[in-house]
Amino acid sequence: MSALLAGLEWFFLLYFVLINAGYIALNLLALPTLHRKIALRALEDLPPTYSGFEPPVSLLVPAYNEEATIASSVRSLLQLDYPEFEIVVVNDGSRDATLEALAKAFELEVFPEAHCRRLPAKAVRAIYHSRLHANLRVVDKENGGKADALNVGINASRFPLFCAMDADSILQRDSLRRVTQPFLDDPRTIASGGTVRIANGCTVSGGHLERVALPRNLLALVQIVEYLRAFLFGRLGWATLNAVLIISGAFGVFRKDTVVEAGGYRADTIGEDMELVVRLHRVLRSRRQPYSIHFVPDPICWTEAPEDLAVLKGQRIRWQRGLAESLHSNRGLVRTGGAAGLLAFPFFMVFECYGPLIEVAGYLFMAAMFLVGHISAAAFLAFLALAFSLGFLLSVSALLLEELAFHLYPRFSQMAALVGVALVENLGYRQLVTLWRLVGLTRWLRGARSTWGTMTRKGSWQR
Amino acid sequence: MRLWRLWRERTLAPRIEAWRQALHVAMDDPLAARLPPLATLDLPAFAGLWNHFQESVRGPASDNLARLLRERGIDARLLALLGRRSLRLRLTAITALGHLREERAWTKLEAIAREPSSVTSFAAARALLRIEPRRALQVLGPSILEREDWPLTRIGTILHELGPAVVTPALVTLLVSRPRRGLERAIKLARFGHRHRISTIVRGWLSSSEDPEVIVAALDYVEDASDLPWARGAAKHDSWRVRMAAAQALARVGSRQELAALLELLRDPVWWVRYHAAQALTSLHGLEGEELEALRAGTRDAFASDMLAQALAEMRRR
Repeated sequence: MSALLAGLEWFFLLYFVLINAGYIALNLLALPTLHRKIALRALEDLPPTYSGFEPPVSLLVPAYNEEATIASSVRSLLQLDYPEFEIVVVNDGSRDATLEALAKAFELEVFPEAHCRRLPAKAVRAIYHSRLHANLRVVDKENGGKADALNVGINASRFPLFCAMDADSILQRDSLRRVTQPFLDDPRTIASGGTVRIANGCTVSGGHLERVALPRNLLALVQIVEYLRAFLFGRLGWATLNAVLIISGAFGVFRKDTVVEAGGYRADTIGEDMELVVRLHRVLRSRRQPYSIHFVPDPICWTEAPEDLAVLKGQRIRWQRGLAESLHSNRGLVRTGGAAGLLAFPFFMVFECYGPLIEVAGYLFMAAMFLVGHISAAAFLAFLALAFSLGFLLSVSALLLEELAFHLYPRFSQMAALVGVALVENLGYRQLVTLWRLVGLTRWLRGARSTWGTMTRKGSWQR
Repeated sequence: MRLWRLWRERTLAPRIEAWRQALHVAMDDPLAARLPPLATLDLPAFAGLWNHFQESVRGPASDNLARLLRERGIDARLLALLGRRSLRLRLTAITALGHLREERAWTKLEAIAREPSSVTSFAAARALLRIEPRRALQVLGPSILEREDWPLTRIGTILHELGPAVVTPALVTLLVSRPRRGLERAIKLARFGHRHRISTIVRGWLSSSEDPEVIVAALDYVEDASDLPWARGAAKHDSWRVRMAAAQALARVGSRQELAALLELLRDPVWWVRYHAAQALTSLHGLEGEELEALRAGTRDAFASDMLAQALAEMRRR
């Protein structure tokens, strides 16, 4: 019995060491990339010039019950600074007046378009063209979920690159130019995603970000640190190894032919954005086809974070299920080798997918060992202190990267608030999120059916 | 770190404002500009601002900005920056020396253009093209075609800025040599040269090449009826991209005689070929809307009929 307990102790300790070593390694990988990014501003900050070689982009906007905001979202997209793009809004069988709102705002008329059905998807009811904007089309289809709507959007799109986004993503005018840059610089690029930041507290006007500020809501504030950690050293670190496994569904650009050849979005998963990227890695690596998946660290897309626990809980449960589905349906990636197969995939499987299970079990185990007197109070407290300190250290390093590269929160009080939050989040918030993730994992294991996630947004900061 | 940044921002702000005013004045009259003495620490920030101004202006204003730097001896200080290790400093200096058209930097820039780093080598290539475009095109021609890490879009931007009079001779030389590596890039860049000079070379490839990419490029230059037999042949090519380009070429120079070939393409299995065949039919000389409607009504292929309906609707909107 004691040998088993000792074995478990060593297992949890090893897990703890490996996960933190992994995050520290990602941090170290991200640093030189970010340093180079700063140096390149000598060129990137110069006024943009276009040659006509910029690949035209189809912006795919899946909309489900977006009656209140869809017109302003589309108006903001029409103002993007990019030489050639089209907007394809896909009304995914909305039950409200989304289609009517679009028809009224953009003078839509039914157009006899010969629909190209390269990917299987639910039936298209009608395709509308705008009388006001030649680059705006609306596809009205039967409800089938976001992935199905994106597949319809891909079928309807006319350009070689498509940008998958959320209808309520808040962009900067240069967002599209920045996220497509890797396609110009590296001909092997098949996908590119950017940093998603939290818009709560910011000033947004006409669908564009005007002023960056921090939210008053503590939950939203904590998520700012969380997002910085995930994007600035998580994805940037993996990107240096060409092993990014997630491109946020809020804003990511893909090469259409590659996605179509891989089968498009899977409509039976809730993590369709991650599933597609993992599948692209698997398919292209198994074909031994050279490719790159890039990550642009610039803050190019802003999104509203949940401000109450119930909504946040639902979101995190969905994310965890999506993660588990994406990884398990592409297990073959491990056999294809490379950093994506041999490093990123196992890391995500062990630490991100099953991590909550091990972490919760670890906390309970350590607490039980302490209660039965198997470990001393000093050892138990030392373990907790170390766990909290490392968590804090990683958050602070993400803040440091933000300060080094972007400096979006210029006031001392803002940075002090974020450092404070980085400390506080270890005292309850992280543990709560781990529990929700465990719920998500359990639901996935039980095989609960995937459904569209509903995300309640307040949009109180929007003008 | 934050204190250092704040201190720099605070101390730099009034200087940047003074530089900005000086540069505005210098665009009209460099002698009248009051440029405060530049500390070594301020040189990169000033050069960055100067580059920004240069990228936004053309003609005499650009020349005047360059004159301001020379008269203050800043050109020599920028030359010294080329040897620094910092990527940011080097890129700033390379860009500025290009705008200055600084002949003394040629040898160093040529060496940097051969470095493996995509960023610095391309920045140096760009600077060389600004300093002496014709000579630079001769020197850099093979690299432009072979270095795939040099983005085509950026090369296109530079060639566009230089204009067809400057780039056509170099492009003709490259195209005539039909390089084994980089031909596709050469074809894509050909659009920045004088069309009539490029056209003669590229159209010749229609009869001599089997590479689909080359045929697609050549079809883009089909502009008179003498090329029609090639375009009709291309309409039956195995590659759908060639068939699509053939449809576009037939639309450009064909007449009603191409009706049969285009109706065949309208039944193509690939959506894009059908789309361009339908577009071609609506723009074909001598075919009127009523006749097209009759063609649509008469076709038994549902895909062809739908596509023609779309093209007709688009034609009516034009």
